Amino acid sequence: MTQSSDERGAELRELFFETAQELLQSLNEEALKLEKQPGDVETVRSIRRIVHTLKGDAAACGYRELSELAHELEDALALETVSPEISLAEVAFKAADTFAAMLAAARRKVKPPSSEPLRKIIRELAQNPASGKSRKRKAPAESVARVRWTEYEELVIGKAASQGKRVYHIVAVVDPHCAMPIAARQLVQNAIAAIGEVLASRPEAGSTQAAKRLDFVLASNVPAEQITAKCRIPTVITDVKVELLKRAQRTRKSAAASTPVPVEDAQPASPSASPETGVVDSPPALETTAIPGVAAAENILRVEAERIDNVLNLVGELIIGKSMLQQALNEFSRHFPKDATRGRFADAMAFQARVLNDLQRSVMKIRMVPVEQLFRRFPRMVRDVAKMCGKEVDLVVSGAETDLDKSILDAIAEPLTHLVRNAISHGIESAEERARLGKPARGTIRLDAYHHGNQVIVEISDDGQGIDVARVKAKAQQQGLLTAEEAGRLSEAAVLELVFRPGFSTAEEITEISGRGVGLDVVQSVLHRLKGTVAIDTHPGQGTTFRLKLPLTLAIIKALLFRVDQRLYAMPLNAVAEITRARESAVHQVDNYEVLQLRNQVVPLVRLGRRPEDAHHSNRKLFVLVIHAEKRKLGLIVDALEGEEELVIKALDDQTVATDLVSGASILGDGRVVLILNLAAIVERFARSRPAESGAVSSGMLLSNADRARGALPEVQP
Amino acid sequence: MNRELHIVGFQVGRETYGVPITSLHEIVRVPEITSVPDAPDYMEGVINLRGKIVSVIDLRKRFGERSVAPSRRTRILVVEHRGRLNGLIVDSATEVLKIPAPDVEPPPIDFQDGRLNCVTGLAKYGGRLIVLLDMARLLEFSGLRQEVGTAGEAGTRAGQAEAHSAAAGK
Repeated sequence: MTQSSDERGAELRELFFETAQELLQSLNEEALKLEKQPGDVETVRSIRRIVHTLKGDAAACGYRELSELAHELEDALALETVSPEISLAEVAFKAADTFAAMLAAARRKVKPPSSEPLRKIIRELAQNPASGKSRKRKAPAESVARVRWTEYEELVIGKAASQGKRVYHIVAVVDPHCAMPIAARQLVQNAIAAIGEVLASRPEAGSTQAAKRLDFVLASNVPAEQITAKCRIPTVITDVKVELLKRAQRTRKSAAASTPVPVEDAQPASPSASPETGVVDSPPALETTAIPGVAAAENILRVEAERIDNVLNLVGELIIGKSMLQQALNEFSRHFPKDATRGRFADAMAFQARVLNDLQRSVMKIRMVPVEQLFRRFPRMVRDVAKMCGKEVDLVVSGAETDLDKSILDAIAEPLTHLVRNAISHGIESAEERARLGKPARGTIRLDAYHHGNQVIVEISDDGQGIDVARVKAKAQQQGLLTAEEAGRLSEAAVLELVFRPGFSTAEEITEISGRGVGLDVVQSVLHRLKGTVAIDTHPGQGTTFRLKLPLTLAIIKALLFRVDQRLYAMPLNAVAEITRARESAVHQVDNYEVLQLRNQVVPLVRLGRRPEDAHHSNRKLFVLVIHAEKRKLGLIVDALEGEEELVIKALDDQTVATDLVSGASILGDGRVVLILNLAAIVERFARSRPAESGAVSSGMLLSNADRARGALPEVQP
Repeated sequence: MNRELHIVGFQVGRETYGVPITSLHEIVRVPEITSVPDAPDYMEGVINLRGKIVSVIDLRKRFGERSVAPSRRTRILVVEHRGRLNGLIVDSATEVLKIPAPDVEPPPIDFQDGRLNCVTGLAKYGGRLIVLLDMARLLEFSGLRQEVGTAGEAGTRAGQAEAHSAAAGK
């Protein structure tokens, strides 16, 4: 409580924005459900509950307009109107969008957009009660049982009852001659709040309607007579009935809430809701947010990602420390091979290594979130885009529970959205077209995620028309990305990769013809940044699959260390399919590419370092690291292997070190800096290199410009 | 009372240069430098500065001086700019100078572009001329990516030429 109220308010608002996002997400989900099953009372109730929570939270944080709007919507929904004229799902979608816009505006502290369209719909809804049944407030005053509490209120009541409190239902009849009928509610509430906890009330708190009859549910330990006496306010209340609600009736509902829920005192019209009230209000808000799994909610902690990153950084330092110790121990062992303490050192090291391993894994796990967090926004998006394109599309999601590093998850949100949108607008054919082709009228988009070794694969597939390779080829030639000769030579996979070229994808007509396009280069560049890859698998007439391969985490990798031209480099160990030794004389040159015959296959080679002058006659030994790149194999020629090590990746300052060949750097136990190669970039550069008239193109990729200048000087100077 | 500029002076070639002492983080001996592919030629590489990876620029190359083998006095000036650390290789770093503000003249107009655009002023100090450098200009290579690109291509061509000659030579 040492924080200033300002800070507290800001923190609270931050929390509010976060929970509000979740609420809107749930709202969208419920709306989708409602669209499938119009008139499902459970769903309507659930929507109402979400809106109610949003209202309370918004009021607590002082977002008055949002709160008021939510209140109106809640009221309109409370009428139990499942009108055939107005689709409640539409209303909910509209509401979700409007709320989202308002939230975004509030977050950026700008003027919120007009909420008038939504208000209009709400008004229509409110004036259009479909069923002839009257609104619940018209229930006769005599009957205590006629009031309907919302599920949330029931929950609170049940909770109080299960805690052994006596729960009373109070009905107070307002004096028709009372001068201030609106204030009557507040007066009664004030009176009873002094002797117990008000769990629910009709009219609801903050209502500005004058009511003839007031209903309260009070948890209190005082006898009924005393309550009656308290409520009998002269000239305001004429009659009071107090009834003990039996515990047994309510307990069936009491399983859910797990913390005492304070008085819901949301006053939507009150802009002065102070941060203090906010603090009191937010626990129930969180509670109701997570209604489906309330029991789990209390154990969830919201932590800034930055704090976890700090811990992860420290773990990284520890791992560097571990390799320092290991090296010191090795040296010690060399100097004193007979020393008995050596064994104890080794034991301690092994123990420490094990604990470190666990620690690292635990911290990593904190950063892991299920991919569902991302997938859950797609149902709504697919619905909207499909509607816009006039297509019928089903979304099938699987593997949503697959864990992925939070930062990676955030980064792939945009590319994934892009791919899904593309799949609907270009991949899936129109219903008529599909019928003609004998396909089901509804297209299907599949989102799938799964672990594969040290990687996470996210797939987006559609059962649409597929990508026409010939057209891509033709278009690329037309745009000068490809010469006719190259076009003839390129494999299908290579042609498909063309769609990721920046120049290729932006052209408008491409989009129409090939069906894929705008911004696919963005997808690829994001994947590169994440050290991942994207591959296309397409079958004409059957559909297309985009497969994103992502590393599990960005922070620590198992790496293979090797030397090229005396310099040390590293690459992710899982990228290496095979390591083979060869002699320089076994390297052949075909079509200006260096190749190596590996068993029955010919593997193209990339010479990372300098090519020796006498390459062909040399008996020099070299190592070839065979990597799988997309659909082909590639061998990297390196001079020597240095073993494998766990590396903590540190980002390189990309302003000064402007190369995509290196994805990061790491510090070894002895303090040396080792660069981690970005295989995707190497492969891409290799693919893009065109054989010149002479000379092997694929050599010297890792030379720095200084090296090149040095190497080239004798050539330049006659 | 005249305002004084506190400047760290260092030698590169025959000249004395200066950067504001406030931008200096520390001065270290030259450790092992890991060179980086594709980097501009004056980017010497990266070093490990107590667990931080810091990129290092060779000021001799940056200023078009002939490069020499590092000597006992060669140092890396680690400067902080916008929260980032950068290393500058200098021939020697010796003095802290207090220069009265009026003794600093703006750089000649022909310094505005080219390699010397990072010069903010020329200070007269005890009969010597000290070239004051602007960290932002020196470190934020605006438009440098372009330069890197062309340099890289030139390098590739050179590499090809080299390979070509190797092939032809056999």
